[in-house]
Amino acid sequence: MPVFKKTIVGLGSAVLMTSLSYGIGAAQAQEGQLRGNVRVVIGSTSTGGDTYQNSSIVVDQLAEKLDINMKVDAVGASSAFRTLDRDARGNTLMIFHDQSYLGHLYGVEGYADIFEKYTIGPTVAINPGNAYLVPKDSPYETLDDIIAAVGEGETVRVAIQPGGVSEIGFSALKNAIAIEHPGQEDNLVAVNTGSQSDKNQLLFDDQVDLINGSVQANEQYTRLPEDDQKAMRFVWLTARQETIQQAPEEGLGQTTREQLLEFVEPNVHVTMGDDETFTFDKEFFFLYNKEMDPGIVEQIDEALAEIFEEGEIQEIQKSAFFIPNFRPSGEASEYLEEKRSRYEEIIENIQ
Amino acid sequence: MEILSLLDVTFFLLTALGALVGIVFGAIPGMTATMAVAVCLPLTYALGLNHGLALLLGLYVGGISGGMVPAVLLNIPGTPSSITTTFDGYPMARRGEGERALKISVVASLVGGLISAAVLFLFAPLLADFSIKFSYIEKFLIILLALTVIASLSHNMLVGIFSGVIGIWLSLIGDYSISDGGNGKTRLIFDFMEPYLFEGFSLLPVLIGIFGISTILLEAEKGVKSDLSDERVKIGKGAGATFSLALFKGRLTNLVRSSFIGTFVGMLPGVGGSAASVLAYTQEKNLARDSSQMGKGAPQGLIASESANNALTGGALIPLLSLGIPGDSTTAVLIGAFTLQGIQVGPLFIPENAETWYVMMAALIFANVVMFFLMFYAIKTIAKVVMVPKHILFPIIVMMCVVGAYAINYGIMFDVWTLLIFGVLGYLIQKVGLEVAPLIIGFILGSQAEVYFVKSLESAGTLTIFFTKSPIAVVLWLLILASVAFSITMSLKNRAKHRHELLG
Repeated sequence: MPVFKKTIVGLGSAVLMTSLSYGIGAAQAQEGQLRGNVRVVIGSTSTGGDTYQNSSIVVDQLAEKLDINMKVDAVGASSAFRTLDRDARGNTLMIFHDQSYLGHLYGVEGYADIFEKYTIGPTVAINPGNAYLVPKDSPYETLDDIIAAVGEGETVRVAIQPGGVSEIGFSALKNAIAIEHPGQEDNLVAVNTGSQSDKNQLLFDDQVDLINGSVQANEQYTRLPEDDQKAMRFVWLTARQETIQQAPEEGLGQTTREQLLEFVEPNVHVTMGDDETFTFDKEFFFLYNKEMDPGIVEQIDEALAEIFEEGEIQEIQKSAFFIPNFRPSGEASEYLEEKRSRYEEIIENIQ
Repeated sequence: MEILSLLDVTFFLLTALGALVGIVFGAIPGMTATMAVAVCLPLTYALGLNHGLALLLGLYVGGISGGMVPAVLLNIPGTPSSITTTFDGYPMARRGEGERALKISVVASLVGGLISAAVLFLFAPLLADFSIKFSYIEKFLIILLALTVIASLSHNMLVGIFSGVIGIWLSLIGDYSISDGGNGKTRLIFDFMEPYLFEGFSLLPVLIGIFGISTILLEAEKGVKSDLSDERVKIGKGAGATFSLALFKGRLTNLVRSSFIGTFVGMLPGVGGSAASVLAYTQEKNLARDSSQMGKGAPQGLIASESANNALTGGALIPLLSLGIPGDSTTAVLIGAFTLQGIQVGPLFIPENAETWYVMMAALIFANVVMFFLMFYAIKTIAKVVMVPKHILFPIIVMMCVVGAYAINYGIMFDVWTLLIFGVLGYLIQKVGLEVAPLIIGFILGSQAEVYFVKSLESAGTLTIFFTKSPIAVVLWLLILASVAFSITMSLKNRAKHRHELLG
């Protein structure tokens, strides 16, 4: 036993020393303004979610390119914002998605106007998987069925997490019903809940008729036999058609891109009035402390531009079902501000 | 046979290393299994999925087990799920039976871990289907059942319930989180407190403060006298300190029942790990022929607590691997290992990734065995911690608590203040005669009880749903009633006995 224990201890210290020396080596490489250990906080507490997965891919590449130590920390939105507020040195960066401004539009506590309070960094990817699902044995075959049923006075309950990406599709649907069947939109009822598992659970329990989910988290459920209590069916992906078209042909799991395209516009039409169709691409981007050295903004922009030029990251992103989408900081800021004003309208319409 | 080729030397070494590092993490107050897994998560990039999982599962098992060490020796739960271990472990350690208490805990942990691994292996998909029958309503009732332990745990029932309610009240401070489907509004605080208390008090600093710091304050109040450290030297040498498997005689039912309770609670997503050991402890208290010594240093309490919290590991993996839903906070981080490798966990994970599944089972079992040997034979040395003179030991503990509290949410200074506030509060509470254990159980379970209660009402709209939802709900109500009735009879009996003694 002592020999065994010694081996373990030996191995342990070897691993520790290797990692330490790696860390020191990385910390010593100090060229650009970004230096030392950089912590990238994300707006989600989950390491199983798309924000973590996407951020890890980007941060891994960035750390290698800049030759510094970087780590992604899943601390959640309010912690992430607060951590970012405290650090103007550039040792804390944040990656999040549209939730960061949608939260503010929906008036969620803890969300400030990011365009005023922070510097918007580059966009890096789109998750095209934001989806709505019904039980496999649901009477509603398509989203049109749901819109029609609500229009006829049927109550349809939708499980969402309030105040963000999960709610924006619901708001758009409600808006579409208000346009097509004025006065009936209140028959579409939001059931506020938390995590994906809570939403799934509500569907299993027949407590709701429709849930917000994602291709990544729910694809396996759509392949279960109909008599399984857990079986689900996609009815709507909010992404633009062009976005899904950039996904790998084999799609995700055993659901091909071709199959997924059935659930996006123009096959599924959620009107915004005037022949416009609602779409929503969930985009990931960097957020920086406003006081941070502009040199760092430039440095990251340049490094990412080089990384995307090389092309390897696109392959990794696509294989994880993300759509590469790099825009340098300035461009991203303009683009996202424009995007926000579009969704602001929808939210105002239904309030 | 392909699976065997995946189980190379590196695989076993990584699992063992994981278990060792996990034990260290678990044993340091403030460092948890969740943290150990989170810290090592990025390593899975380099290690590949199978080797990465080996390391992480080792950390998971080690981290949960390691929590028993400070719980028994220092009255500080190393992880939230070892809170009930302090109830009997610390009194035993004070009697000079620290080594025995730890050995009982290690054996119970091993049994719990293996039983849950077996359940996971044999029945995962089946149990996952069962677990989704538990909606908000049933989950609320389970929490309520665990809360009934407050009544049977307290020395004076009224004071105990009062302390429990204060605990629940403390847990409601902060916002009703959006991520729980709430409105994100804060309550029970003033505006100026918002930057600190937006998310309420963090669990671990509260736990360490109320148990660890307050114990140190109480001890320090007595003064550091040499006779006290002499008393501690007895540890491991006292008459009753020898350990033998005979201790488990007549306790098999408890061991198996607690292991199943642990597995079961683990497999219900959203019902936290600490509920497992609390529930197992309650049931032993209610069902054992003689539970009068529980809370005063009874091996049966340790068996219930430790077998249940290790059984959590297998249980929490059930919904993770067969629904893609993590069963507890550690598996919620563990899921990242799959995410980083681009593997989706969901209802078809096991049939589509049979190899990974077998690798995980092998790692889980091996990690439990390694944990057992590492701990069982190291206990003699570990138990000597308490022989360190207090004037050296206490500052070190306080320092570790502070570092742990600071690190738990990756560097929030307010968590250190929380630690100190609750340290002093824990000290005062005991001075004014309130009870710590019910208070902390109320604190741990309170916020979950609230969320599930509100969500049940939101989706059903009526209070009667709690009684009519399902046969499971009815069974849970019967258990709750039985538990309450039992506590009342016990308390009446004790009172009669007490009076009898006084008269006699």
